[in-house]
Amino acid sequence: MSLTDLIAPNAILPALKVNGKKQALQEIAAKAAELTGQDERLIFETLMQREKLGSTGVGNGIAIPHGKLPKLPKLFGLFARLERPIDFEALDGQPVDLMFLLLAPEGAGADHLKALARVARMLRGPDIAAKLRYSGDTDALYSVIAMPSATAA
Amino acid sequence: MASVDTLSLGILLGSLLALAGILSSLVALRFGAPLLLVFLGLGLLAGEGGPGGIKFDDVRTLYVVGSIALALILFDGGLRTKLNSFRSVVAPAAALATIGVLLTAAFTAPAVMLMFGFNWTECLLVGALLASTDAAAVFFLIHAGGLRLRPRVGATLEVESGINDPFAILLTLILLEFLMIGDRSVQHVLMVLLQESVLGAIIGAAGGWAIVFVLNRLALPQGLHAPFVAMSAMVIFGLAAVTHASGFLAVYLAGLIVGNRPTRAHNTVVVFLDAVTWLAQIAMFTLLGLLAWPARLPQSILGSIVVAVVLMLVARPLAVFLCLAPFRFPWREKTFISWVGLRGAVSVFLASIPMLVGTPNNAVFFDIAFVVVVTSLLIQGWSISWAARKLHIALPRSDAPPRRVELDLPGQLEQEMVGYQVGPHSLYLRRRLIPAWARPTLIVRDEHILMPSEAEAVREGDYIYLLAPPEKAQALDRFFVDMPPPATPDPRDLGDFVLSGDATLGELADIYDLTIEAAEAQATLSSYFADELDRLPRLGDVLFVGPIALVAHTITEDRVTMVGLRLTEDDPLVPAPVLRVMQGPRRALRWLRKRIGF
Repeated sequence: MSLTDLIAPNAILPALKVNGKKQALQEIAAKAAELTGQDERLIFETLMQREKLGSTGVGNGIAIPHGKLPKLPKLFGLFARLERPIDFEALDGQPVDLMFLLLAPEGAGADHLKALARVARMLRGPDIAAKLRYSGDTDALYSVIAMPSATAA
Repeated sequence: MASVDTLSLGILLGSLLALAGILSSLVALRFGAPLLLVFLGLGLLAGEGGPGGIKFDDVRTLYVVGSIALALILFDGGLRTKLNSFRSVVAPAAALATIGVLLTAAFTAPAVMLMFGFNWTECLLVGALLASTDAAAVFFLIHAGGLRLRPRVGATLEVESGINDPFAILLTLILLEFLMIGDRSVQHVLMVLLQESVLGAIIGAAGGWAIVFVLNRLALPQGLHAPFVAMSAMVIFGLAAVTHASGFLAVYLAGLIVGNRPTRAHNTVVVFLDAVTWLAQIAMFTLLGLLAWPARLPQSILGSIVVAVVLMLVARPLAVFLCLAPFRFPWREKTFISWVGLRGAVSVFLASIPMLVGTPNNAVFFDIAFVVVVTSLLIQGWSISWAARKLHIALPRSDAPPRRVELDLPGQLEQEMVGYQVGPHSLYLRRRLIPAWARPTLIVRDEHILMPSEAEAVREGDYIYLLAPPEKAQALDRFFVDMPPPATPDPRDLGDFVLSGDATLGELADIYDLTIEAAEAQATLSSYFADELDRLPRLGDVLFVGPIALVAHTITEDRVTMVGLRLTEDDPLVPAPVLRVMQGPRRALRWLRKRIGF
């Protein structure tokens, strides 16, 4: 299951340096704002709003922060690997070092949910987390995300 | 010299009494008896009817002490109310505190009429005396009882009890005016009510801001911050009372503002007021006990008990269910809120006002109020934990929160020092995790003070001190609570994401573009499970909201506290119509329930 339609090669941060959950969300919001031309503050607040309902840390060191933005033209994905794991209030208590951001346009409804499900299941796939952790640079990371079942760790 | 001796004796006896009150708290805590009753009993024992034989019938003193004590208790109540919990329940609590007070008084009046044969105004007056729930009793029983109530229920009860006293007092004063002077027009009554509350709110808000301003601008000597705040509260109360505004409303609001703004010496103020509140309670209940005259009670006790029963089982529940009908509270919560309608010192204090102004039957009013309060404290106060368990209202008690030391750092308000002992099973020790906003500053190990760099690798038993913003200090508890790690859940079975049971359907619908009924927007996921399933929830129970499935992920004490969010990749629209049909009867039932407030 490929996610190439969701994420572009330039939306990969191979070594993001942050100290905590809030800063991590701020940084990926800033990068997403740069790539989509949307308001950084708005993206950050949207993500925080979602975190309030329950952490998007899904376990095994993975977080999938997401939300919808009114003026976004289409679904947007961004992947960030953290240099140092941070506490993300995930239910399993594990610190998070892999983050996949998904932003959906207003009214995307079913598409938003389907994309979210694909992202969640891709990241849960066998050895995916390990591959993402040990892949070298941006290109290697992108190929894991693009062809999750084919690449070797 | 003889008069000095009498005064000295008075001082000795008075302080012995207060001391006995303080020590009796130990006994009461051990037996779980309502502590307030112990103080009352102490007063009774020391009084005319008991072995103490102290003659005390000074209603004036009771009124003065009672006013001061109540003002401080209400200020303290405001101080402890966190504004974000306040905001979410302000509508239901305000309904209970205004209309609820009126309804409770009105529904209690017929029972008084039946048992005592007073005229209607007098019956309503007795109803009004008994109409407010007691802030002191409710705060105390919720906090000291070790109950962890669902946040919305606890906050509703606390806020209600904080703001309904002013209304009960107003109602009592207006009815007294009717009784003493004769008819007044309804407009007049409403005008007085409006004027008192608006003026009280203005004075309270202005006073609260003024306290915060002075506290942060003037460098008072170390120990004087807390007394400054307490005395300012009394000034606000006095000022409001002098200008015919509601002093009780004013102090409560002032407390709310002071408690929710960053101030210097916040911890000292809270600790000091805690002590003051205890003393106020002891003084008030002991005086009430002294003033009561047990020998006279038998004449009215039967009637009073009937009034108490009607109040507890009919008037309060009716008022609660009617007032909360527009808000989405499950019936269990409404039942619990009805049962925690504790009466307390306010009622007896109010009953001393007719004595002060000398209405007919004033002694009987006092006796009724006294008996009703004792009955309510005895029966409701003692059974509150039991009721919370039976109604599945109490949250599971997580392990006792770790002991947290908080120290002010003079010179600024943004940071304080927070200290913990590092437990062997704490999250901090196991994973070395700490939020980015907290900075470890000192480690105390074997009575030596070390810098974090010197103490590298913090050990079990060390004391760690961190710099953190005061409002976030509580969030650090999670990292130091000494509990074994939770079992890792299998994410596949229980959903792609996990949501807190306190999230509302409306918030969920907003983020995922779901269609829900407008009436359901306010429902928390937890109460949605409770309402939709006609039985207790089980792990893995599934409810569909449009294309997503909500899965009961964690269940604690029969409530779904964590909800899994399962996303379907296949065309999600297929199962929806089937479910809609199945949910039809339940929806109809829920609609009916909402209308009749069941």
